[in-house]
Amino acid sequence: MKDVIRLLRLFKPYRHWMLLGALAALVTLIANVVLLAVSGWFITAMAVAGSAGVAMNYFTPAALIRGGSILRTVGRYAERLITHEATLRLLAQLRVWFYSHLEPLAPAVLQRYHSGDLQSRIRADVDALDTLYVRVLVPVLVATVGACLLLGFLLLYDWRIAVVSLGFLLLAGVAVPLWSRALGQAPGERIARTEAELRTACIDGLQGLGELQVYGAAAAQARHIDALSRTLATEQVRLAGYSGINQGAVGLCANLSLWTLLWLAIPLVADGRLAPPQLAMLALFTLASFEAVAPLPLAFQQLGRTLAAARRLFAIVDARPAVEEPAGPSPRPDRFDIRIADLGFSYPGAAAPALDGLSLDVPQGGRVAIVGASGSGKTTLFNLLLRFWTPDRGTIHLGGHDLAQYRGDDLRRYVTLVSQHTHLFDLSIRDNLLIAAPDASPARLEQACRVAQIHDFITTLPEGYDTWAGETGVRLSGGQARRIAIARALLRDAPVLLLDEPTEGLDGETEQALMESLDRLMVGRTVILITHRPVGLDWADQVLVMDQGRVLARGDASVIAGATGAELLGGGD
Amino acid sequence: MTPTAWLKAQTPLAGRALPVAIVLQGLNGALLIAQAWLLALILNAVTFAHAGLAEVRPWLWQLLALFAARALTAWGAERFAVRGSARIKVALRDRVYRRLQARGPAYLAGERSGALVETLTKGVDDLDAYYARFLPARALAMTLPFAILLLVWPLDWVSGLVLLVTAPLIPLFMTLIGRNAERLNQRQWKELARMGARFLDSIQGLTTLKLFGASRRQGTELAAVSEAYRVGTMRVLRVAFLSSAVLEFFATISIAVVAVLIGFRLYGFEVPLPAWISLPRIDFQTGFFVLLLAPEFFLPLRSLGTHYHGRMEATAAAERLIEVLGPEPQTASTDATAAPAGPRTAPGPVTLRFTDVHFSYSEGREALCGLSLEIQPGERLALVGTSGAGKTTLVQLLLGFLTPTAGTLTVNGRDLRTLDLDDWHRHLAWVPQQPRLFQGTIGANIRLGIPPDDSRTHPDAVRTAALLARAAGFIESLPAGYETPVGERGAGLSGGQIQRIALARAFLRDAPLVILDEATANLDPESERLVQEGIDELARGRTLIAIAHRLDTVRKADRILVLDQGRMVESGDHTTLLAQDGAYRRLLHAYAGQGRLGGAA
Repeated sequence: MKDVIRLLRLFKPYRHWMLLGALAALVTLIANVVLLAVSGWFITAMAVAGSAGVAMNYFTPAALIRGGSILRTVGRYAERLITHEATLRLLAQLRVWFYSHLEPLAPAVLQRYHSGDLQSRIRADVDALDTLYVRVLVPVLVATVGACLLLGFLLLYDWRIAVVSLGFLLLAGVAVPLWSRALGQAPGERIARTEAELRTACIDGLQGLGELQVYGAAAAQARHIDALSRTLATEQVRLAGYSGINQGAVGLCANLSLWTLLWLAIPLVADGRLAPPQLAMLALFTLASFEAVAPLPLAFQQLGRTLAAARRLFAIVDARPAVEEPAGPSPRPDRFDIRIADLGFSYPGAAAPALDGLSLDVPQGGRVAIVGASGSGKTTLFNLLLRFWTPDRGTIHLGGHDLAQYRGDDLRRYVTLVSQHTHLFDLSIRDNLLIAAPDASPARLEQACRVAQIHDFITTLPEGYDTWAGETGVRLSGGQARRIAIARALLRDAPVLLLDEPTEGLDGETEQALMESLDRLMVGRTVILITHRPVGLDWADQVLVMDQGRVLARGDASVIAGATGAELLGGGD
Repeated sequence: MTPTAWLKAQTPLAGRALPVAIVLQGLNGALLIAQAWLLALILNAVTFAHAGLAEVRPWLWQLLALFAARALTAWGAERFAVRGSARIKVALRDRVYRRLQARGPAYLAGERSGALVETLTKGVDDLDAYYARFLPARALAMTLPFAILLLVWPLDWVSGLVLLVTAPLIPLFMTLIGRNAERLNQRQWKELARMGARFLDSIQGLTTLKLFGASRRQGTELAAVSEAYRVGTMRVLRVAFLSSAVLEFFATISIAVVAVLIGFRLYGFEVPLPAWISLPRIDFQTGFFVLLLAPEFFLPLRSLGTHYHGRMEATAAAERLIEVLGPEPQTASTDATAAPAGPRTAPGPVTLRFTDVHFSYSEGREALCGLSLEIQPGERLALVGTSGAGKTTLVQLLLGFLTPTAGTLTVNGRDLRTLDLDDWHRHLAWVPQQPRLFQGTIGANIRLGIPPDDSRTHPDAVRTAALLARAAGFIESLPAGYETPVGERGAGLSGGQIQRIALARAFLRDAPLVILDEATANLDPESERLVQEGIDELARGRTLIAIAHRLDTVRKADRILVLDQGRMVESGDHTTLLAQDGAYRRLLHAYAGQGRLGGAA
């Protein structure tokens, strides 16, 4: 319930739209009931009057029938327009709301949601929230108000008929959906589990096909996938059986309600307490009124799903940012040296510290290489230098000011990163570059790309800088993507440059060419590079060897690079 | 074949379930007509014969029985439709997966496996909308309105005429407007998907955005994109909804016209008409019966419209499935029926010979141009060269994933194309650059592909293989040891550990030929040393062909093959090649000099 209220608060700016949409739906419902009920009354009354040879006013009911049919059409049109308008407004606001809450959490808190699957789920969850309005709120509101109005009308004739109708409406709209949901819980969970297993088996089967074939296990994998597919289908059929009860229940309840009404009302007609046309009217009225509860079973299903989505999103949104922004304005450094003193840091829940008492002085324009295996704490240091995390102890000073005094965005004007993971957005190459410097002129972009040695490649593309990059665009090789990252860093023009294994995974020749680009990028900047390969580090003024958060050795490039490099290269001889 | 035709062609896979569903639905429609008739009968009796409850009670019980029967048939129709659809899905998923498997790894490497997995899982499930929803709805829409019309016409042709005139308007409008609306709708769905992708993209790139101080800007941009989308969509929807409103209007207004026309005739209202037209006189019971049927006449037509979107989704899924199933595989098939059935040979020493082998992935782009080479049993061969030199292609040819476009590749004198691929695979073990661990335990991953009754599945054999691969140490330090489950892509294990498990797999395989794609690049020095030890162990007494990425690992090779743009440019051992001052020496220099930064400073 708390989650529902919280969601409703999010929807508050659009409450007028929402009410209007529900009102239109209500008008449609009532127009339809009126149309059918009056038609039934009209025909019967006309037949009775005709056979008795008495005059009757047929203008009013005929007008009501025409009016009802027009109102129903117009009402449906308005309802669809308004609910879509509201949904789209909502969707926009929900995305922005979620994004703006997510932004301060990146990347520290979001590391838990690193896998692509989780990120896709976030997207699906946000999309699921907006269905709360169309699929849940509107139907529930319309069903409640509509049922009250309709029952009020029945009360004018006979309270027993009203009570019976209410009973069947509740049965069809509330009890049966709840019951079938309870039944569907177990197969629903089994379906989710089997779907995940099937997905993994398919990924295994496709991405690992080569190994499966060479090792003679391909046929077994196909059988495994088929078995999972059969299990899934069986559960899907079972679940459909349960949800089928819902659809059947609405129709059956409407019919049973009609049947009970006949049973109760026919004696009233015989007594003369109810006119025959009124019986026909009430009969059709009852049948039509079940349209009010027809969408409720779906609403119940949707509600569960939407709330689960909302809970997951709230859990993310409620996370505390890893970094607190300072209250005052950021300092404006006039030099860019880095002083790191006794830095210590542990990731939440980790047994061992990621960094344990690291001290390092880098003068302006100094060049440091940090060597260590993965898990040695190199990446943690970069996360702290970029103020993505806050150190547990110790300090980092940039230009004589504690990093904690800088606002994150201001700090990152001075410090930038080129890493092995370059995210290319689903935008043109130009727009991908402009992310680093939104006001850069085309000439400046090209200049940066020339230095990064990617300009020539871009011009060979048919659409040049307007070529679509990213997920749906042209596939760039690892080396090309990293050149774009270098161009971005050049455009950013930050005085401190962090390099995170910039040549990892590239072949020797590409690597060497990329290094030439990096050389140009490094000119005049304070540079820290992290790598796990202790080779070719003779450009560095200082080399640190790290292991498990501690500095094992530090010193002159030639000494350390020579020692470890020889050991490594000599290992095979 | 259009997606719709293809979808239709698959229906026999459902067996009898779909026809049964459709028959049940038809039965349900017939019961509906009976129910309307009975209701009209009861109301007529009460209104004009002044019947009391006692007189109509038998009819009421019959009515109750009809209600129960209708509920049962509706539920049964739904169940059979879903079951039929499930059968089709299971059959198609199996067929599509086996087809992908038959196309081989080389085909899959070029595809985005993510999209294919999506097609296999959600794409196949999307077909439900067609088989379980649209098909039965269409069957009903094509029968029930006709049945009602046939019934109403002899009773009251005036009402029949009203229905007959408006009914064709509905499908007509549906196709006229529907086609246009479908196009618009599809565009909007694509837009929506694109907007969703944009949102996801922003989340995935949030660190990058933050790095460049662009994250707040992106928030504003998201709002602007969403707003633009809303305005564009609403413009389309106003028109699209208007057309469906017109449809709805026709249906509703004709019910109203039927009601009014019946009412006036029951009243005895004289219509000034020429003498040759005489309106049929009707009684109340007929009139009420027709009134009850009028909405049911339009209902199947309208509900068909609600399944339209689902059908669109199914058609889109079908398009992707056709794409996967469609064209003939370009690579050797592993189908037992397709491959020539050569005699099974026990794995023994193999001599490989490439004779003027060419291969091109597409017209005019040769990946290998005229490679000739002989590999003797027990030889240790290293392949070096820049990316795109043809190393991977050579290995893929050896594995039988690709077949030469020209030239021959023979194994012990027999053309690889004439060999049964499964049989050939029994002669070799392969460790790719990024070995894959499959869902299951570490032990099961080492035992991959070994039949359960084989002696090699014995724990001691697995343990020995792990020991030789330098993997036993870390595996046995895990609480569950060999029974430790492996997560997606070997989550929880380091790259070096995965490599060593894959090496253990190769050891257990005990094949005379070992092909490996050295992936020491992503390993820290300690893992690299252990993997290297494992490889050296594996090379003992076997033919070893290795793609070398790190040149310091090739020195141990008996022969180094330097490839460049699909050609073999040098061949010899380390010392010879170094002395030659050619391509190998240049590669070695590039490798050694790769880290030399600061030259420009």
